[in-house]
Amino acid sequence: MDRRNFIKLSGAGLGISLVSSHYLLRAGSAPQGLAILYDASLCVGCRACQMNCKSWNKLPAESTDRRRIYESPRNLSERTWTLIQLRSATPGQEPRHRFWNKQCMHCTEAACVQVCPTGAMYKHPLGFTAYDENKCNGCGYCTQACPFRVPHLQISNILTGRAKAARCTFCQDRVPLGQKTACVEACPVAALVMGDRNKLLEEGKKRVAALQEKGFKKANLYGELEAGGLHRLSVLVDEPAAYALVSGIQIPPLINLWQRIIRPAGKFVMGITIVGIIAAWVIIRRNIKMEEVE
Amino acid sequence: MNGQAQESGYIQIRWIPKYTFIERFLHWVHTASFIPLVVTGLVLYLPLLQPLAQGEAGLWMRLIHRLAAILFIAEPVLYGIVQPRRLWLNIKEFGLDRDDLGWVKNAFGYYVLGRHDDMPPQGRYNTGEKINGLVMIVSWAAFVITGLIMWFGKGIVSAEVFRWMVVLHDITMIVAVCMFLVHLYLAVAHPLMWAALVSMRFGVTSASYAAEHHAKWYYGPKRARELYQAKKKPTR
Repeated sequence: MDRRNFIKLSGAGLGISLVSSHYLLRAGSAPQGLAILYDASLCVGCRACQMNCKSWNKLPAESTDRRRIYESPRNLSERTWTLIQLRSATPGQEPRHRFWNKQCMHCTEAACVQVCPTGAMYKHPLGFTAYDENKCNGCGYCTQACPFRVPHLQISNILTGRAKAARCTFCQDRVPLGQKTACVEACPVAALVMGDRNKLLEEGKKRVAALQEKGFKKANLYGELEAGGLHRLSVLVDEPAAYALVSGIQIPPLINLWQRIIRPAGKFVMGITIVGIIAAWVIIRRNIKMEEVE
Repeated sequence: MNGQAQESGYIQIRWIPKYTFIERFLHWVHTASFIPLVVTGLVLYLPLLQPLAQGEAGLWMRLIHRLAAILFIAEPVLYGIVQPRRLWLNIKEFGLDRDDLGWVKNAFGYYVLGRHDDMPPQGRYNTGEKINGLVMIVSWAAFVITGLIMWFGKGIVSAEVFRWMVVLHDITMIVAVCMFLVHLYLAVAHPLMWAALVSMRFGVTSASYAAEHHAKWYYGPKRARELYQAKKKPTR
């Protein structure tokens, strides 16, 4: 093989590997399975969901910083997987309390699953994003990749880096047995319901239409298309930004570029280097007479 | 014969110094940190090695990666402290001239096909060694900056910055590993480069090897060019 053919072939190989890896990863992404529907117009902010989540998952209590009047603790953490937050109206608007149940959104195209190098974060056949703590090595990539900043690290030793990721698992130890999630079970006003995602999608749209009729013009359903389709759908009474949500948010583009192009290309380049070295060695061994080498 | 006497039955090799003890020692410290770093890093990259990345094994991989990183960071810094003049001498060798272009044109024929005569004379480091050196310096800086930010910056820098650090660390690894594979091959397996491993073990190189591979260093630039022209003429 001469140099020109070699370059041609390696270029073609690179192209094929890029395209094929792109399609392999793209396949099978239609959102199916279960979902939770949270209706912010029904939520009374009682925090029963938050309590029952802690109770079922045996998560220790956290001290609060006393700086917020309602939210306690301030944000999701490795020990708080469901949190009721209070979104007050922006200045100049009619004062209104908006409660927001913050938990894992169980994205169909989940950034945590994409970046997890151990397979600890994975998509469950029932649609939600499950987690295998035994596989986690505490690298923390998920905590930095999630567009909703949901996973957190439980760091047990700063020096050695010993840590485990932690986040809502859709009660993976209850739901496959036919039970509801702890948060849904606890909700006294049915602001949280669980069921087939397609049915909840319809239900959510009906509720949004009803709210709009009542005068909540900005009411909307959050999660139909975000991150490939969320398995935690939300009926919002105001625009997503009022809940600190980004409409149409997707997996960070850099993560797609990294996982779908840079990593396969890197493997290809390293493979070609090894093959090239072996080929070069075979050729030079034939061409050189060792007696003449100085 | 380039200061090398061949008498009846045996070859006498005249050795000339090339690397100091500290340089050789730190070269192997670098090797002893780089290889564990690559291995413990690749467990996050190659699906075949994924079981090593999981759970308790993965925690050990991360710990070893960080311990090796300390050596990896310290080694060039130590060199600069212990032998700053040698470091400066080596850096000065990185200048480029027309012979580097000649090297690029002839590299394939020289390294793969074994054609000696067209290769222009090279300095203490040939163009390939300069490329290797530059890749090592740049990738060292990239590894250290992105690695330290990932190690200590989680939660301090923004998630966006952190993600870039992970990706840049990956890209740097791909480039550095490819360069390392070529470096390893030339050092241990390429039949023409037999003196490379000797000089990194014992600090010396053979005079005839230096004359053949590093003529501008051995003879000086002017004499090296004259010899090169004289060698080239009859073939043209």
